[in-house]
Amino acid sequence: MAEHDGEDRTITAEGLRRTFGAVPAVDGVDLHIPGGRIFGFLGPNGAGKSTLVKILTTILDPTAGKATVAGYDVQRQGGKVREAIGVALQDVGLDPLMTARELLVLQSQLFGKSGEEARQKAERLLVTVGLDDVDPKKRAGAYSGGMKRRLDLALALVNDPRILFLDEPTTGLDPASRVGIWEEVRRLNEELGMTIFLTTQYLEEADRLADEIAIIDKGKIVARGTPDELKREVGDEVVELQFAQCEEAAQAYDALAGIAPNRQASGHDVRLYFGRAAENVPELVRALDGAGIRLQGLTIEQPSLDDVFLRVTGQALEHEVDGAGDATAGPPAPDGLASGEPARDAALAAANEEVTP
Amino acid sequence: MSDILLLIGRSLRNALRQPATIIPNIAISVFFLFVYNGGLNSVAKLPGFQGSYLGFILPVSIVSAAVGGAGLAGQTLIKDIDNGYFTKLLLTPTRRLAVIWGPMIASAIILTAQVVLVMFIALLMGLKVAAGPGGFVLVVVLAFFWGMAFAGYAAFMALKTKNAAAAQAATFAFFPLIFLSYTFVPKQYVTTGWLKVAATINPTTYVFDAMRSLLNTGWDASSLGIGFAVTLGFATLTGAMALWAARGATKLAS
Repeated sequence: MAEHDGEDRTITAEGLRRTFGAVPAVDGVDLHIPGGRIFGFLGPNGAGKSTLVKILTTILDPTAGKATVAGYDVQRQGGKVREAIGVALQDVGLDPLMTARELLVLQSQLFGKSGEEARQKAERLLVTVGLDDVDPKKRAGAYSGGMKRRLDLALALVNDPRILFLDEPTTGLDPASRVGIWEEVRRLNEELGMTIFLTTQYLEEADRLADEIAIIDKGKIVARGTPDELKREVGDEVVELQFAQCEEAAQAYDALAGIAPNRQASGHDVRLYFGRAAENVPELVRALDGAGIRLQGLTIEQPSLDDVFLRVTGQALEHEVDGAGDATAGPPAPDGLASGEPARDAALAAANEEVTP
Repeated sequence: MSDILLLIGRSLRNALRQPATIIPNIAISVFFLFVYNGGLNSVAKLPGFQGSYLGFILPVSIVSAAVGGAGLAGQTLIKDIDNGYFTKLLLTPTRRLAVIWGPMIASAIILTAQVVLVMFIALLMGLKVAAGPGGFVLVVVLAFFWGMAFAGYAAFMALKTKNAAAAQAATFAFFPLIFLSYTFVPKQYVTTGWLKVAATINPTTYVFDAMRSLLNTGWDASSLGIGFAVTLGFATLTGAMALWAARGATKLAS
């Protein structure tokens, strides 16, 4: 365990496991996150991201294994952990009857600040999250989804945390609000050296923010590295072939086995991974012609985290959504977004009940 | 400032922002006082009745206010749980005791204010407190702890059921206790055997006795001792139950 000298910003986990009934939500997770990093935890709904955050933030006890946050054991030194961290969970936690200032002042005071210090902190944080020009009498219950999320982020910052946990901080936000949160997260990390533990189901978010990414699927970490390292593992370049019918894509997938052993099919598309894509394009076209499969489009691009995700989990992850302004209305879940296991989904739903009394 | 004081203040402020959660309970207490006193005050003419019927029936109004008002603590907790603020509080270094007892004490303070109001109305109606101003204060103190006892029960039910309607219904389950006692006539006039048994095992009886002694007959160490012991015992029990429910439900490491 890391020594804690008051400035420890690390997160560690060894064999961390949490089951709900017989279903493992987190299944043997090992972590060592150095201080001052932005660590992205990527996975679909039901993968175990939120359960892991709840364990690391002391809300939920693990079934087995151990974890330290800021050098403190999450089970034995929960109070110390909570003093060192800020947490914005997936569901915002606001009292709708209170104003933003009241919430921030109370939260600061609960972290031991005096009334005057708390009021000054509240004003600074309102500026930080861009809520300083909102009517001071407006209660949190009347805020829009994006405003609530920004206020929730401000509440997570009242104690100047060394480590900030953000559980899907931009889910359901409109693109402008999302970019605003990203900029703030980046600033907190760069200017204050805050370790950021960020879970997300958005590839773009992980790609743009995280220094290092872990992909979690069915409670296990299935890939880990920097975004570039992960992308390089699938190949240097990608040829994406588009077809009018899914059946044609499936036929193409089979027909191109000899030319591109490293390939993936998803819906109407087939993605082929090469060291140098352009050299292989003529042969690809000839092979498809020969098999009587009509190609609708072809593009060459760099691998994305989507390719990584598809490769390590066998399923596509949620893509970016546009114009989702309602925080409660998340993007529609495509096939494969849920865990795909009804028993696991039911157990994880029960887990949320158990955690939040 | 102590975390518990901060959270009591927050609950009180929120309650004042929603007067609809308080006013019906006050109205019902006053209604009971007027109706029972107006309709049954001839009981005071029975031979051997000590003091006024107003002093006899006022504790019924106070205790019913405690049962009705207790729901406020449960409702506050359930709303906090539903909107995620409960978890936000648990993520601070705040003691769990403060998170649970803050709404409970606020609920008992609101009840106490109601009781003072109802007692002043009773004074205007002609109540003479046999034990004097000190007796008046002790009735209020007793009401506060009785309110804490019911608030603890409401908080326990809220944390266990996590359902506003179920928690409210659970507090109403205590209403029969008010009537399974020497509610409308003194003990010596009750002849029904089963009611005597029910009244003897019903803790409400001893709260009535303590309040009635202060209001109608003066200082009675025995009634007061038993009344306070029952009330404080009940409050301790339900307060501990609420904390236990919170510990079990949150799985929070200490």
